[in-house]
Amino acid sequence: MSRTTTYLAILVGIVCAWFIINSILINSILFPHPRNLRSDVVQGFLIGGGLAFVTAQIYARIKATKVNGWITMFGLGDPGNGMLLRAAHAQLFPGPVNVPQEAMYWWTNTDGAGHALSGAHDYVMHFPAGGLPPNEAFWSITMGDASNHFVANPIDRYSLSDRSGLARDPDGSVDIRIQNAAPAGRESNWLPAPTGKFILWLRVYIPGEAILRGDYTVPPVVEVK
Amino acid sequence: MTTNIEYGHLLVFGSVMVAAWSLVIYLWPRLLLSVYKRALLAKGFGGGPIPVNTLQTESQALFADPLHPPASASSLATTGVNRDTLLTAGWLDLRKGPLVLHVPDMAGRYYSVQFTDPSKNTVFAYVGKRTTGTQAGDYLITGPGWNEAVPDGVKRITSPNNGVLLIARVLVESDADLSTAYALSQQIQLLKVESIAQR
Repeated sequence: MSRTTTYLAILVGIVCAWFIINSILINSILFPHPRNLRSDVVQGFLIGGGLAFVTAQIYARIKATKVNGWITMFGLGDPGNGMLLRAAHAQLFPGPVNVPQEAMYWWTNTDGAGHALSGAHDYVMHFPAGGLPPNEAFWSITMGDASNHFVANPIDRYSLSDRSGLARDPDGSVDIRIQNAAPAGRESNWLPAPTGKFILWLRVYIPGEAILRGDYTVPPVVEVK
Repeated sequence: MTTNIEYGHLLVFGSVMVAAWSLVIYLWPRLLLSVYKRALLAKGFGGGPIPVNTLQTESQALFADPLHPPASASSLATTGVNRDTLLTAGWLDLRKGPLVLHVPDMAGRYYSVQFTDPSKNTVFAYVGKRTTGTQAGDYLITGPGWNEAVPDGVKRITSPNNGVLLIARVLVESDADLSTAYALSQQIQLLKVESIAQR
């Protein structure tokens, strides 16, 4: 979850709380001041709108699933969702999203230990044998810079996927190398990172039952020391 | 003791606050989608604005070199990293009657056509590999309250709204496959009902 929106939500929450305390408790109950209708309506509207944003942000965080640093939400786009859930979905996935049966999305801006992802470090993502995301269409991991744009790199590679011809280790596992400089001898599994901060997207289209049931665990992105 | 508490004002303040809270929560997805609507209708993927009731596929150049999106493209269409599927999108207005969506034979390839209700940002129907298979087909998209006969050989999709956001995704297997995926995407078309009836 982006820190900017977290701070914004906290700030708006504090401002609203302060206004409520100031205009209701202090100015109306303890030390009543004359008020006029217009300021009641304007203040009520602004504070109600601000609290709506804060509520949706808090509810989105309650409903989000975060495992190993990867954030996702179940139930996106479902016509049966209530209005509060629809607003919460729009906070963390602000776009015309697919329903889970069609596609699941995870994103992260931290490694499994909770540290911000940065091209200053090298990372590995380890999928054990048989542990690639189950699906009936495709999966992919895509690199985005801090503002969610593609990252320029010498081999014009922006994602790794089931179509990338990933090399397997002898035990059948797959290691994805996420770093700024090419890993010698492991270029086939290299996802080029920028020098600065970055985010990762995992997409699984027509996800398998294990994902839809919530039984599949996305492996953490682990810093290589 | 006289109390000076202004209950009337508190009531007005509180009611407006609750109403504003509900309104903003309810309208948030609709406002979000209205931003997408404007982006599609005003700019598109770089192939110019996308008129209502037409579809536009993102260009092969944009997919092949995503670092340099065309200056005319909407930033909404080029923010967010997707290297898997070619996007085709359009905004439907069903007030003047239904439209026909034609999809080509995708020969087993993954694709989906997503129908989003822009008032809620929820998906009310799909055409595609998961739901209808990859053979060619025609689908009649009707707005609320439409009650006429559905032409032969056409399946009906009922929209809860006259406005519909349509997004199609066609899987690109590899760089070498891009032109094939693009040609298939372009065969996802919106047709008038008359053009189906005349066949």
